[in-house]
Amino acid sequence: METVTLTIDGTQITVPKGRTVLQAAIEAGISVPYYCYHPGISIDGSCRVCIVKIEKMGKLQTSCSTVCTDGMVVHTREADVVEARAGVFEFLLLNHPLDCPVCDKGGECPLQDFSYTFGPAESRMDFPRRVFDGEGVKADVDFGPTLMLNRNRCILCTRCVRFMKEVDGDAQIGIVDRGAGSEIATFEERGVHSLISGNLMDVCPVGAILTKDYRFKTRPWDNPGVVDTICTLCSKGCNTSAWLKAKPEWARGSQLIRMTPRFNADVNNYWMCDIGRFTYHWAEGDTRLRKPMLRPSTSPGQAPLEPAAWRDVEPKLRDRIQDAGSQDPASVRFLVSAHASTEELYVLKQLVEGLLGNDGARAVTVTWTRSDKRQPEGTKFKVPGTDAPNVNGAKDLGFEVGPGNEGMPDLTRLRTDVEAGRVKAVYVLDPGPDGSIGDVSWLVAARRSGTLPLLVVQGVLMTELAAAADIVLPGTAWVEKDGIFTNDQGRVQASSRAIAPPGEAREDWQILVSVARSLGLTMPYETSNDVRRALATSKPGTGYAEADHLLFTRPVPARNWLQASNPSERWKWDFLFQDLPPVKGHSVQMEGVPAQETSIPLKPVG
Amino acid sequence: MSFHPKMEYAPARFHKSARTLPDPGGDFTYTAENQAKFDANVQRYPPDQRKSAILYALYLAQRQQGFLTRAAMAHVAGQIRCTTADVEDVVSYYTMFYTKPVGTYVLNVCRTLSCALLGAERVTEAISEKLGIKVGETDASGMFTLIEVECLGACDRAPVVMVNDDWEERLAPEQVGEFIDHVRAKGRAAFTGCHLHKEK
Ligand code: SF4
Ligand code: SF4
Ligand code: FES
Ligand code: FES
Repeated sequence: METVTLTIDGTQITVPKGRTVLQAAIEAGISVPYYCYHPGISIDGSCRVCIVKIEKMGKLQTSCSTVCTDGMVVHTREADVVEARAGVFEFLLLNHPLDCPVCDKGGECPLQDFSYTFGPAESRMDFPRRVFDGEGVKADVDFGPTLMLNRNRCILCTRCVRFMKEVDGDAQIGIVDRGAGSEIATFEERGVHSLISGNLMDVCPVGAILTKDYRFKTRPWDNPGVVDTICTLCSKGCNTSAWLKAKPEWARGSQLIRMTPRFNADVNNYWMCDIGRFTYHWAEGDTRLRKPMLRPSTSPGQAPLEPAAWRDVEPKLRDRIQDAGSQDPASVRFLVSAHASTEELYVLKQLVEGLLGNDGARAVTVTWTRSDKRQPEGTKFKVPGTDAPNVNGAKDLGFEVGPGNEGMPDLTRLRTDVEAGRVKAVYVLDPGPDGSIGDVSWLVAARRSGTLPLLVVQGVLMTELAAAADIVLPGTAWVEKDGIFTNDQGRVQASSRAIAPPGEAREDWQILVSVARSLGLTMPYETSNDVRRALATSKPGTGYAEADHLLFTRPVPARNWLQASNPSERWKWDFLFQDLPPVKGHSVQMEGVPAQETSIPLKPVG
Repeated sequence: MSFHPKMEYAPARFHKSARTLPDPGGDFTYTAENQAKFDANVQRYPPDQRKSAILYALYLAQRQQGFLTRAAMAHVAGQIRCTTADVEDVVSYYTMFYTKPVGTYVLNVCRTLSCALLGAERVTEAISEKLGIKVGETDASGMFTLIEVECLGACDRAPVVMVNDDWEERLAPEQVGEFIDHVRAKGRAAFTGCHLHKEK
């Protein structure tokens, strides 16, 4: 790799050729502010706050658009730079409403953070500020199905415009008018309609673009837990962070507060889609299963399901499964969602092989759904068709998955057998959201009519299928367990337990282990890592060989994420290790004055 | 417009922007002649730089119907193969594109530094007084529209007013009334811009 060496603030820095001065400074931990620069989109050079002094260059230069050259000498803290930069901040704040107390970005806002550090203490502006549609909440206008736009707060960095043009591929946002009249707008005020629109909130460095899902829901300092995990709503497996709300008075409400993307150059870059970002409420919704349920009578539709204790359900389940399989063990069949983690599939595989011998996997039908996602042709973030995270995991474990991620699962064999009355019991494993195992109305009908004598559903939601079941076992959603999933590139990725399963719900691998044990099989697993260890040993030389070394994270403490601040700035922590945003209260204008002993030790999150 | 396979959108119960939108306008397509002109012009640019033809495309549309409606912008977007937002971006940026009907003569008064120092503000006032209109309006006869623009690149001859595509230089506030009367009487022949002398 070709490198160049330059000096920034007296420190010699060697960076790969082609880096800009701003990137070099960030990598070296020298704090230089920026707004229009974002590593995932093109360079614009419009906000001017990243100005630095470069020796032998006449004027101050924007560091985001100046490429490093050998021997360059850069100053970011000299008096003229400090003054000019403060001037730029003064201009940026001319029309900014400074309504931080009611702004959802407040507390994790680069405009706040950088202004505190680099801006002037006061504004000299004594003309009225420009306001659109009024002050405060009235300034919030509808910006499409997922977003709100507050034009008063916008600093016209054009990150959103470039995101739509370059990443989404459909430039729906433009700047209308010019100069002091400029505003961010869509044609005919249609708003932004895109499958990846939620990223605009992360991209926007101020509180101008907010998601309807997140705004007014919490304040950043009230959700101090962040868990690095992955999204499991399609086969892409975006790396994400789950944010948790942690106020005592809300302890009984939902805890998940938002999902944000986490940088991974190989999978999702800095982005995630709206499906993954906004579809998390189901895990803590009203239809969530919290207790095992049992239908007292064996004839279908007779008695309603009743909550029961695990210790009562387990023997019943064992008896009825044994009963169903007494004539032909192969008449007990499994319908498994590709939302199941690899641990669960691994335990299931041992279970069926224990019951049915080596071709036990034939008793298992893996299911998922596909949907058409409308996206512009030129999009750089393609959301795949398959709506399940682990089709490849099932395939790698030797389950029949037909065309895999490229097509639909084939349920005809199971369906014909069920409808012909050849199946005595169906055990469903469905840890995904409602509808993620596809259309199973035929299974409901078969149970209702009695063609199918036993239906067991292990899942997380009271779906139509669960309502028709004889035994319902509450499992766990992806945010409630450590699990591994293999995405469509074949990458083995980890999703971490962020919240505790509600009520008496148990982790799905545990349920399967206890079912297997009750049926007389040996299952030497006490933790999910035991399962991963066994999986790793059974698959040397594959992506699973390291499965027991995957990193599962737990909520990071508030202190660390405060430094990580704005989710759109998380990439710095994940790969650049810069101490940005600056520790509040420290001002460059006061450099030379000894810093107080209030600084927080800086280290990357995770 | 819903394209999320399963997700329910936030219901539309939010404050809508009060921005003044350009006129929607009726159906718009280029005349055959203009279409031919556009097709010829767009050839000048490499296929991946098609957007470079946008100003020309907009001028064609504006000449065809006098001003630009949303329908015209949508038509241009189709021709250029960019989005309507891109087109509105350009239209709203340049002062020479009109989103309302304008008079025969559009008086663009420069209000940037040199002209401002030499009384551009009073030029604007004089015009408004003479025609009884405010900035952005068209007079009753439909002949004149008054707008303010930024530097016209003729600072050495300030204060400058650009009438349609021609400079009218050193137009002191006191001369405005007379100039307007001349234009009314003689049309373009009343213009005195120095570039016209060169043309001759
Ligand atoms: S809305 Fe946000 S991202 Fe877009 S230009 Fe304004 S400040 Fe930048
Ligand atoms: S693309 Fe797939 S994995 Fe990524 S956020 Fe969307 S649904 Fe989740
Ligand atoms: S970050 Fe360099 S000009 Fe905006
Ligand atoms: S300032 Fe008026 S033409 Fe330049």
